[in-house]
Amino acid sequence: MVTKRFQCPSCREIASFSGSAGEQVIVTCPSCLHQGKIVFPAEDTASYAIEVSHLKKVYGNLVAVNDISFNVKKGEIFAFLGPNGAGKTTTVEMIESIREPTAGTVKLLGEDTKTSFDKIKEQISILPQEFHSFERLTVRETLEYFSKLYKKQADIDGIITALNLQSYEKMLYRNLSGGLKQRVGVALSLVNEPDIVFLDEPTTGLDPKARREVWQVVANLRQQGKTVFLTTHYMEEAEFLADHIAIIYKGRIIAEGSLDDLITTYGRGSVLHIQGCTSSEALVILKDEGYDARSEGNGTIAVTITYKDRVLDVLSTLRHEAIDYESIEIRRSNLEEVFLELTGSKLQEAEA
Amino acid sequence: MNPRIIGMDVLFSIKSWWRSRGTVFWSLLFPIMLILIFGAIFSGTGSTNFSVYVQDHDHSAMSSQLMDIMNKTGVLKITMVNESENVTKYIKDHDIKAFLVIPNGYAQHINQSFVDPNSKVNLTFYYDPTETSSTEIIRSVISNIIQTMNMGLSNGRNIVGLSTQSTITEKFNYIDFFIPGMIGFTIMQQAIYGSIERNTKYRKDGILRKLLTTPITRSEWILAKMTFMLFLSFLTTTIALAVGVLVWGVKVNITPLMILTIVSSSFLFSGIGMIIGRFVKEEETADMAAGAISFPMMFLAGTFFPLAQMPSFLQTIAQVLPLYYVNEALRNSMIYMNQSLAITNAAIVLVFAVIFFVAGVLLTKWRED
Ligand SMILES: Nc1ncnc2c1ncn2[C@@H]1O[C@H](COP(=O)(O)OP(=O)(O)OP(=O)(O)O)[C@@H](O)[C@H]1O
Ligand SMILES: [Mg+2]
Repeated sequence: MVTKRFQCPSCREIASFSGSAGEQVIVTCPSCLHQGKIVFPAEDTASYAIEVSHLKKVYGNLVAVNDISFNVKKGEIFAFLGPNGAGKTTTVEMIESIREPTAGTVKLLGEDTKTSFDKIKEQISILPQEFHSFERLTVRETLEYFSKLYKKQADIDGIITALNLQSYEKMLYRNLSGGLKQRVGVALSLVNEPDIVFLDEPTTGLDPKARREVWQVVANLRQQGKTVFLTTHYMEEAEFLADHIAIIYKGRIIAEGSLDDLITTYGRGSVLHIQGCTSSEALVILKDEGYDARSEGNGTIAVTITYKDRVLDVLSTLRHEAIDYESIEIRRSNLEEVFLELTGSKLQEAEA
Repeated sequence: MNPRIIGMDVLFSIKSWWRSRGTVFWSLLFPIMLILIFGAIFSGTGSTNFSVYVQDHDHSAMSSQLMDIMNKTGVLKITMVNESENVTKYIKDHDIKAFLVIPNGYAQHINQSFVDPNSKVNLTFYYDPTETSSTEIIRSVISNIIQTMNMGLSNGRNIVGLSTQSTITEKFNYIDFFIPGMIGFTIMQQAIYGSIERNTKYRKDGILRKLLTTPITRSEWILAKMTFMLFLSFLTTTIALAVGVLVWGVKVNITPLMILTIVSSSFLFSGIGMIIGRFVKEEETADMAAGAISFPMMFLAGTFFPLAQMPSFLQTIAQVLPLYYVNEALRNSMIYMNQSLAITNAAIVLVFAVIFFVAGVLLTKWRED
């Protein structure tokens, strides 16, 4: 299944269509009802690091993962974004051959994991959710331990330097802070110079500073050309790191694409925030004028802007009505709004 | 199987183990302490006594001369025992460690030896084998005297001999009973808790999941962990024995059956730990379950106190406890030296080991549901 955005040749609106790769279909533009033939680009499987098709996991009468398909290109940072219990860990652990899928197939680097997982163990590396390594080995020993399990062994000193762990290398793992543990966890997933790195919620529970540090490390992996599969329930994390995002909700992928794709397709465009509004009338007036306006409390009004000219229209309306305000701010739609749009709930509140 | 990976894993296991003071305490210091404490409580004064009791059935000049020589060594303190006393009963009643009997006809045999080269006479030396240090000294002093006498009499032909007899063929000291029990118990604790940690904590912490995606195989991992367990088991055994031998003079025999029992029990209790870890997923709860299983087993299996002292229904329960057979196998193979009991019990332990270890391995999964 591929999702592709096309621009309507008649009205210039952009619309997304899904179909199978290489398929030709007749589509109708949702704006002007213009009909046309489109071709979905053929898949270049050689460029995929991860190919997941119709993956499903059933626990009793709970369908934890429901017919999921997606591909991750080599060298891409792929974020699997979803609230608690959405099925992220179940999915990633089926991809890592830790859990048995109820149905569906997974290919890593072109190899079917069901039959040839052993072949690609040297080329992948994982950081399980809430990973906690051996208590009484030092950071360096922990790295040495895991590195010695592989044939291909990366330079431990290099990893220690790259992840800025020099001052902690002699510390016992159990004495590290949460952020350092996660950094060591990421470091551990580099000891075999893998092509694909799986990180299951690497920053959950970390303070903002520690989170940024882990982000920096993950961003560096892209520079080294590694494919990164990252699960998270922080949309800032996906926004900051990911080239490619899939949003999972109640076991299904409800949206997939680049950040821009998602925002353009599902976002509300941009939002104009009018802060310190003095008049209580303002909201009513804007609504009467037909704007999508709502109060955000504290005298702030948010107005959704579909075309950029509309900003001026809103402001002149306010001036016309002699409504004063302190400041304005235009915010681009973000993943939170995409999620809200798709599910009707906020990401952090949504518990599947 | 990659021996390099296994060796590496064992090395790191030992390293982490050594850093865990608590574990080191329980596996090394605790047994030492118990052996010292229980040994002190139960082995009486423990002071070495060089007195030797002599019963003279010969009443000849020659027998008095022998006692005279013994006295003159200055090492032995001789107490005469009336001829009418029954030797075994007397030893038992007076808790005597060394007892020498000069038989009737002692002088006559020596005199006859000048004409009859086949004439021989044996003195009998009864001794307490648990008092190795003192009785050894007494015995060697007496044999030296006899040898010197033989030299003078006949240029070294053995006219006077010394036959030895243990004063207690059935009764051993408490510490002899205790040390094998302590070894069995410590091996059980180490194996059960170690195996529970690997199957609950390592699972929760994602270590098993991580390993599943690395090239190490489950057999390599199990082999590495069992090698480490055997290292611990033999280390504890060595230390317990060292304390037993050096401090309490326990007489220990290192036999193949003893080694076999130590190896089998390491597997046996690791298997039990795996089974517990399979059904009780939370580490703390699993540890409690392990305590609930191993603690009563420690008392009921005759680890610290002989089963004979317990009511008969408890003795019946002991028959189904693996630790009971471990204790019996160790005692008989290293202390009591009852070969047939050693073989039977070691075989039972081996069978238990195979059953529990195989069940443990089969029941434990690395993969998640
Ligand atoms: N072994 C299992 N047995 C039964 N149900 C399970 C099992 N593992 C997961 N589930 C259920 O499947 C659903 C998805 O769980 P999963 O752990 O994949 O979610 P997640 O997206 O990783 O959540 P989180 O952000 O909390 O890690 C949840 O409802 C969970 O309770
Ligand atoms: Mg998860």
